[in-house]
Amino acid sequence: MDKKTFLLEEQIKLGAKLVPFAGWLMPVSYTSIIEEHNAVRKNVGLFDVSHMGEVFVSGKDALCFLQKLVPQDVSKLAVNKAVYCQLTNKKGGVIDDLIIYKLEDKYLLIVNASRIDEDLNWMVRNSLGFDVNIVNDSHNYSLLAIQGPMASDLVDKLGIKKENQPSYFSIKRGEILNINVLAARTGYTGEDGFEILVKNAYSAFLWDKILEEGKEFNIMPIGLGARDTLRLEAALHLYGNDLNEDITPVEAGLSWSVAKNKTADYNGKEVIMGQINGNISKHKKLVGFEMLDKIPARHGYEIYFENRKIGVVTSGGPSPVLKKNIGLAYLDVNNETSLNTSIKTIDTIVQIMIRNKLYDAKIVKRPFVEKKCKKENV
Amino acid sequence: MNDEIKIPEGILCSNTHEWILEGKDTCTIGLTDYAVEQLGDVVFVELPEIGSEFNKNEPFATIESVKAASEIYMPVSGKIVEINEELINAPEIINNDPYEKGWLVKITSETVQEDSVGLLEYEDYKEELD
Repeated sequence: MDKKTFLLEEQIKLGAKLVPFAGWLMPVSYTSIIEEHNAVRKNVGLFDVSHMGEVFVSGKDALCFLQKLVPQDVSKLAVNKAVYCQLTNKKGGVIDDLIIYKLEDKYLLIVNASRIDEDLNWMVRNSLGFDVNIVNDSHNYSLLAIQGPMASDLVDKLGIKKENQPSYFSIKRGEILNINVLAARTGYTGEDGFEILVKNAYSAFLWDKILEEGKEFNIMPIGLGARDTLRLEAALHLYGNDLNEDITPVEAGLSWSVAKNKTADYNGKEVIMGQINGNISKHKKLVGFEMLDKIPARHGYEIYFENRKIGVVTSGGPSPVLKKNIGLAYLDVNNETSLNTSIKTIDTIVQIMIRNKLYDAKIVKRPFVEKKCKKENV
Repeated sequence: MNDEIKIPEGILCSNTHEWILEGKDTCTIGLTDYAVEQLGDVVFVELPEIGSEFNKNEPFATIESVKAASEIYMPVSGKIVEINEELINAPEIINNDPYEKGWLVKITSETVQEDSVGLLEYEDYKEELD
């Protein structure tokens, strides 16, 4: 039986088409994925992402404990700031990717719905000898994302004035329509926007009110379908597709989220820093591609170069903004079948096998669509 | 999906959501409004070669929505005699007009009578869905 967020009734009233996702019954779209996608790029969209996990970490050793879990340097994180990072295993593989928010007295970890159990198991296993409290509070909170160029204006109207809004990758306590929330300036769309954490009891009220107050900004409710196309255009990784326990952050193109001068030890540090310093070879490398044909390439399709298989697509589909088919793929590195990675792979033409036929694709820069949010500063 | 969709008289529907309309010499095949609604925005259509032959229940085309690729199955056995070329450049026609402009292929079939046994009239098909 799939779990339901506290907003399902509201969503059904709005005509949501529902699908099971990571153990939850969630809206995949309300009208059309392309329309919803464009609404977020042009105006503003409201997402229910209450399926995501909220884990609070507190206690005397909370910082030391988190330092052991992620390649980012959490000691650099100031109160009310946030950082994107990964939970890594001993081999440097990614158990989950997440955002850590530093609150006054504890840390909030927002993790993927599909990984909550693995994350908690891993955290508890690693907590031996640390004076920490790990609390999975996912069932008490709803998470609403307000994303798009008009998000800041809308949140202003809802009660958090622009001058009081958290800056990019920050979080602040505030009141929206007189309800206590945690408002974070984060998201998964490549647009400016907020993620609003609120107790379940208030989420349906907020949802309805945000849609009502957002009318003047042409707000639309957005389903998981457009969430996926938005994050793909922004080349943001999807756990399970583009990240897994056998891929390191370095191989995933996430070296920017690895602290190079971090003194504390963490799980997988040897492999991760070895790959960054070039002492340990990468097995694969994440690239972006666009199809030169009109056909979309999907997760799992094989990539060829001069008739040798050199990689696999991990995410792919149409880009509503570019009106092209785009995707993320891993290319093999350092074996006899790989592309010579000493040459630049950008602009290389490769072939993707789709239903037993090869179609041309070009390796291109990521992100596919320019991100509107400013750069993350720890 | 707009509510003004007109269902052509005489279509038969399969449980895999294709419709077929028997004409004088050929049969036209398309996707039902229910299927189109489920797929969402269609972004690519791969149609078979003219002259190719398929058995009943065999996949003959692929329709890609934003989210996924779906195979389309023959409601009866037959030979492709015409494909809807318009869909190649404007696949969204299927969303807007699944029964008229959004048809997929035209076929000739020797066995349409016996193969149609088990296909449902639209009203019955609709009822099965509820």
